[in-house]
Amino acid sequence: MKHDHDHHLDQDQGHGDHGHPSTPPEPGLAVDTGSQALEEALRSSFIIVKVAMVLMVVVFLGSGFFTVGPQEKAVILRFGKPVGEGQKALLATGLHWSFPYPIDEVVHIPITEIQKISSTVGWYFITPEQELSGEDLSAGQSLNPAIDGYVFTADRNIIHTRATLYYHIDDPLRYVFNFTSASNSVQNALNNALISSAARFNVDDVLLQNQAGFRDAVQMKVTELTEQENLGVTIDNCEVQSVPPRQLKDVFSQVTTARENRTKLLNDAQSYTNQVLSSAGAQSVAITNLAATDRDNYVKSLKAEARRFTDLLPQFKKYPGLFAQQKVAEAMTEVLTNVQDKIFLPEREDGKTRELRLMLNREPPQPKTGASTP
Amino acid sequence: MKRNVLTLIIGAVLVVIFALLLFVFQVRQSEVAVVTTFGRPVANHTEAGAYLKWPWPVQNVYKFDQRVQNFEDKFSPTLTADQNSLLTSVYVGWKINDASAFFRKIPGASVPAAQQMLESMLRSAKSAVIGKHPLSEFVNANPQELKFEAIESEIELSVQNELHTNNYGIEIEFLGIKKLGLPDNVVQTVFQRMTSERQVLISRFQNDGVAQAAIIKSAADRQASEMINNAVASATRIRAEGEAEAAQTLPVFEQNPELANFLLRVDALKASLNQRATLIFDERTPPFDLFRNLPVNPPGQ
Repeated sequence: MKHDHDHHLDQDQGHGDHGHPSTPPEPGLAVDTGSQALEEALRSSFIIVKVAMVLMVVVFLGSGFFTVGPQEKAVILRFGKPVGEGQKALLATGLHWSFPYPIDEVVHIPITEIQKISSTVGWYFITPEQELSGEDLSAGQSLNPAIDGYVFTADRNIIHTRATLYYHIDDPLRYVFNFTSASNSVQNALNNALISSAARFNVDDVLLQNQAGFRDAVQMKVTELTEQENLGVTIDNCEVQSVPPRQLKDVFSQVTTARENRTKLLNDAQSYTNQVLSSAGAQSVAITNLAATDRDNYVKSLKAEARRFTDLLPQFKKYPGLFAQQKVAEAMTEVLTNVQDKIFLPEREDGKTRELRLMLNREPPQPKTGASTP
Repeated sequence: MKRNVLTLIIGAVLVVIFALLLFVFQVRQSEVAVVTTFGRPVANHTEAGAYLKWPWPVQNVYKFDQRVQNFEDKFSPTLTADQNSLLTSVYVGWKINDASAFFRKIPGASVPAAQQMLESMLRSAKSAVIGKHPLSEFVNANPQELKFEAIESEIELSVQNELHTNNYGIEIEFLGIKKLGLPDNVVQTVFQRMTSERQVLISRFQNDGVAQAAIIKSAADRQASEMINNAVASATRIRAEGEAEAAQTLPVFEQNPELANFLLRVDALKASLNQRATLIFDERTPPFDLFRNLPVNPPGQ
């Protein structure tokens, strides 16, 4: 139809162009020139149609060019069947050509990039805005099973846990042609891994003591499931976050505080032990050292005494009386030099004993009056 | 003439294309096609490629997705063997493995209809299987008592059997529990139990900390006093050694006990009057006996 229309148009134009001869044609000649003009017009329009067709073929074939980006592979389906066997069917990055539809169909498959998927099946309801602002909705009395997710731990506690999984596609053909939504299957494997791993761990292990063990269990389970299900993916990493229910936040943090206090008490006791023991050690060393010094001094002084005795013995034997007097006098000299107060009390003329009263109030706390006579 | 040849070729090509459109159909990778002749399934093409058929209305082609499809059932309550109401949701990876059976058995041969059927099968399989297991087999720290995976495979087996006996042309690739839950009033009682468990833990940590610290401290005290006692004992021993050693010098003094005694007394005198002493004496005490013969004032003055 369109062509016909074009023809008419061309004809009209042709008439204008080719019927150009300056003088209006005579009737007899008019038929001849008219058919001639028609022929001319047809010929030229045929050329245009041909060019248009060639152009269309070129455009048709040229539309088969496509590029494969750096993060993807592509597969050509010819009459629905992949061109090439297995891994050979995958086209690398670059410019490629295929027959246009409906002969060939190009399927792009993301491959090198790390895929990321999250599981919130065990997390309470929170909008992304609240999550971003860090605003914590004060939770209700209970959890609504329709919107709030949670997991059961082995000791039947309810906690929240969520995971982010990183994986890449290592068998793109399987990933695309065997599953309507392989990423959905990966996500469900992650959901299942979270729930089934939590069912094996006690609450304190998940939250505190064995977080890494729980994470590893989740990742192992996801890996196992994706291999069983033959999803054609490789699990790279898995991040798990677990918290106690918001309703019980306070009591859980009190446990943590109590645990820390206990550790502190024990540490204090330990440092007390160290202190007491080291001071006792020092004290006992001092005691034995003092004893050793005492012993040495005692022995030495006795030896010195003995030596002095041996030295003095000959003199004493020679002049016993003189020796004694000399020694007493020596001693008195020394004593009298050291003594603070010296009182000399001459004898009464009648030879009677003199009575002497002393007031002692210096050193003893209870002053007592007493008599003394030398 | 030349022009006619070209026209003929173009015409032929157009006819061929038209014929191909009428007589040929494609089966895409991951698809399966069922060809019906006057509504009766006659052929089943699972391999991708191009196939021939008679044009409508003789033969019709129905194409089905052969890939594994995901389906999750509703989060619904089921009673466990120990009468706990447990909310569960399972996910299923299923696919069409026999397209002509699927075409015959499933109303409208549509995926939603198939999933509706799967859902009702899952519901009965779940209540049958979960009803056989107590809650302790869903969650347990003891791997021997935990039956989580066993329960999943029991459900899968049950559904698989039913699909097989009815020959729906569907097959389950995998099945797993996606979500577990409790009715919200039960959640509250769980919270209460958890709170009391936490409080037990809190008091245990507090008491245990105090007790342990006391034990550690008293042990330290005992050890310290033991060390000091030992030191005192060894000090006594050391001193005794010294005395024993000193006793060896006693025979020296035996030579003249009188001198020894005298020297001891002199030393004692020196030592006792060493400092801060007041000494009162009369002229009989040497060396003040020197004063004895000195003249004195007459008494009574």
